[in-house]
Amino acid sequence: MTTFWWIVHKDLVSEFRARRVWPAMLLLGMVVALVFSLQVELLPEHKQQLVGGLLWLAVFFAGALVFDRSFAAERDEGCWDGMRLLPVSSGTVFLAKLTVNILALAALEGLLIPLFFLLSDLPLASRAWPLALIAVFASPGLAAVGTLVSGLATGGGRGGHLLVLVVLPLAIPVLLAAAECTRLAVENRIDEAWWRWLQLQGAFSVVFVTAGALLFEYAIED
Amino acid sequence: MNRISTESCIASLLASAVLAAGWLAPTESTMGHAQRILYIHVPVAWLGLVAFLAMAGSGLAYLSRRNLGWDHWFQAAGELGWLCGGLTLVTGSLWAHEAWGTWWEWDPRLTTAFILWTIYSGVLLVRAGIDDPHRRARVGAVLAILGAADVPLVVMATRWFRGLHPVAPEMAPWMRLTLLLNVVAFTVFFAWLANRRRVQLELASLAADLRRE
Repeated sequence: MTTFWWIVHKDLVSEFRARRVWPAMLLLGMVVALVFSLQVELLPEHKQQLVGGLLWLAVFFAGALVFDRSFAAERDEGCWDGMRLLPVSSGTVFLAKLTVNILALAALEGLLIPLFFLLSDLPLASRAWPLALIAVFASPGLAAVGTLVSGLATGGGRGGHLLVLVVLPLAIPVLLAAAECTRLAVENRIDEAWWRWLQLQGAFSVVFVTAGALLFEYAIED
Repeated sequence: MNRISTESCIASLLASAVLAAGWLAPTESTMGHAQRILYIHVPVAWLGLVAFLAMAGSGLAYLSRRNLGWDHWFQAAGELGWLCGGLTLVTGSLWAHEAWGTWWEWDPRLTTAFILWTIYSGVLLVRAGIDDPHRRARVGAVLAILGAADVPLVVMATRWFRGLHPVAPEMAPWMRLTLLLNVVAFTVFFAWLANRRRVQLELASLAADLRRE
């Protein structure tokens, strides 16, 4: 457990000091939000239908920047082998990296959800708790897929660059459920269907986090 | 001799399935002959799902045994599953055009099936870019096991979410029998194809080893 917190602490402190990826992620998220609002000139009811999908795509693409760099510090500074030699299970390393990525996504969602609602002229205050719940249920799933694939890519090789191709289809069940949940929340329909979509994204998050913790050992082999 | 008889058995089974689908099964009253697409659509859809599970299963077996033989099963199942997934989308689209008047609808079943096909494509493409056979097998196995989570979503999509795709429609006994015959015939045929492809991969791997030596 201590090692887990040390890895989380180390990553957060080094990000805070060097500001390697988080600012770029937040900036990319803002640019995507602005581009979407500039390009998509729609009637209010159409905005209600679209905002969920656009918001979660923006979160995914901006978040991918952070996922991609999950192991970059260790790889670039030559301490990857050191970390692998730690007397701790690879599952713990995965969960620590996952936690840092979930925190990054939380920061991104904290910025993008209000921004999307503001730019689309949609009420945010009355939808705050459903949106917060959606973010809580979706983030672990998205981050788990991103972290595991980043671990696979750390091994290097030509195929590593192609791995990004597979992240989006793998994460789509969570993205789809989050987008649908957001659309229903925007339309103020917190009904049975909304809970079902929320449960679905929660179920996928549990599956992806568990699979990630179990498979990470194989993902980082050389 | 034995191989010839296996092949002729499979050919006869396939031919009788095609004949049953084309002539034996009664013509459906509302859709007419277009409904016969179902006799191809359902078997390839079933095989697309089974092949993904086979791929994830052989990936799991590779990770525990580290035997490249399992990876050849993985590749064979992946290629045929990709083909079946693609055929599912094409035949489904043809059926949708007749039944719903549109080539494509973002219905939950169609969407999840399309996602599964993109995962197939992604996994095969990533593997094709890796030269080291053990690394290729490992990366493929991890991705397929993770992607297998989409299979129950495709299966349950029509039950969990309301959409246009039919859920277990009522059928005349001859239609049901023809469908069953086609599922069996396609499964046997694709299992045979998968095994042939596996043998081909095995031989290619042996040839590569000999060339290295």
